[in-house]
Amino acid sequence: MLLQDSVTWFKKNNKLERLWLLAKIEFKLRYYENRLGLFWALLKPILDICIYYLVFQIILKQDIPAFASYLFIGLIFYNFFIESTSGTISLLHTKKYLYEYSNMNKLEIYISTLMSNVIGFSFNLIMFMLFYNLIEPESMGLSFYNFWIIPVFVNIFILALGVSLILSNIFIYAKDITQIWQVIATLLLFTSPIFYKLTSFKQALPTFDHLNPIAGIIINARRVMMQGVSPDFSLMLFDYGYACSFLIIGLILLNKIGSKAAEKL
Amino acid sequence: MEKTDVQKSIAIEAKNISKTFKISENSHNTVKHRLFNIFNPPKTKYVPAIKNMSLEILQGECIGLLGRNGSGKSTLIKLLAGVYPTDSGYVKIKGTTMLMNLGVGMSHELTARENIYVSGSVLGLKIKEIDAIFHQIIDFAELDGFIDSKIKFFSSGMVARLGFSIAVNAGADIMFLDEIFAVGDVKFQEKAVKVFESSWIKGRTVILVSHSMDVIKQYCNRAVFMKNGEMKYVGDTEKAIEMYMEDNH
Repeated sequence: MLLQDSVTWFKKNNKLERLWLLAKIEFKLRYYENRLGLFWALLKPILDICIYYLVFQIILKQDIPAFASYLFIGLIFYNFFIESTSGTISLLHTKKYLYEYSNMNKLEIYISTLMSNVIGFSFNLIMFMLFYNLIEPESMGLSFYNFWIIPVFVNIFILALGVSLILSNIFIYAKDITQIWQVIATLLLFTSPIFYKLTSFKQALPTFDHLNPIAGIIINARRVMMQGVSPDFSLMLFDYGYACSFLIIGLILLNKIGSKAAEKL
Repeated sequence: MEKTDVQKSIAIEAKNISKTFKISENSHNTVKHRLFNIFNPPKTKYVPAIKNMSLEILQGECIGLLGRNGSGKSTLIKLLAGVYPTDSGYVKIKGTTMLMNLGVGMSHELTARENIYVSGSVLGLKIKEIDAIFHQIIDFAELDGFIDSKIKFFSSGMVARLGFSIAVNAGADIMFLDEIFAVGDVKFQEKAVKVFESSWIKGRTVILVSHSMDVIKQYCNRAVFMKNGEMKYVGDTEKAIEMYMEDNH
């Protein structure tokens, strides 16, 4: 009965179709507009990895095993978060045409934009898995623990959605949130164990693995994808806590401030 | 008339709504500005655009909105369409709404094709349904050959025709039409009027804003006359037009 009801709901309702349509168009706009096209989406993380590899492995001699993969997985999670937050600060402004003339739910605009980032993230994750399992000499191979990447990713998705909602609603009243967020983004990058050895990170910045949600998520992503162990559940609980709190604050702001976006922006 | 007409359900119910715009002289739009001007708040002017109004719009009725410039027509439309939040009272909307004046919600970064799919989807259609009316929309807008061009390269007339065509062919449950007969050249206007004369308007909930009394007289079974943000009269179309004409003299 319940199943039948939900099937008819899906048939009648076009919400999912609409989200997918908007996500596809957003993805196309981002990558097909420039000459390198989708190729750029694949090239960017590789170039980033080369630069950081040069700095941290060759110059600073950190000696982390499988460092290229170590960087790779850290960067694709961090980049997803930054693209979904920095990239959406002026969302209510750039996507005004969607809600200015109808009573469309604004949350759909956020979700579809993040979904287009999920497409990019999926490409990168597949590349990582190919790299780690076929090229990386110190690879441990595939394992069933790899499936834990799904809840870890859902975690960063909720976190990004929450932060994106908060930032873009503040943007209505304070346009320079863009610059402020850039500084915070850099802070998050360097207070996450993306480039450093986990042990030296924990030694130098104790509690930061729990304080910085990005750090926790990256640590867990590496555990399940590279070390073949289950995620650190206390970290995961913390990070889901952060993600859900930000999402709730974001939704409240969207209700209070975002509803006035059509007249303020 | 059939009895069912009496029991028509309500499409929009607005109760005690009001809207006041806050207009600051120097807008403090950044954190820096706000911090440096804590003791020097910007001078704000309050403009009451809508003063305590209640209105019920039934499903399938065409209602005219009359009033001079600045009487609050456009604000009322945006409140009823759910685009602006109200300061007091509430607006209950049953179904999707679409607000149409010279342009409808279209992105200039997208092609005509993409805009048709996005708008159609926002209006509540499924992809298959949009596929079915796609060529109808293009033909009506006279845009053959420009389907995959970005609309930022279109002339303003082309954009307006596309918007009108989407609205006519896709259409939301509740349509707000704000001076739409000013779109396109004479030939297109004739076509637009023909649409109204055909059965299009029947069975749809339409809120029509126009300064053309002929249009209001012809299509609306009720009309609202507004002055200075207040609803002065709701009811008979002839009477509302009379009041509006008097106000103009």
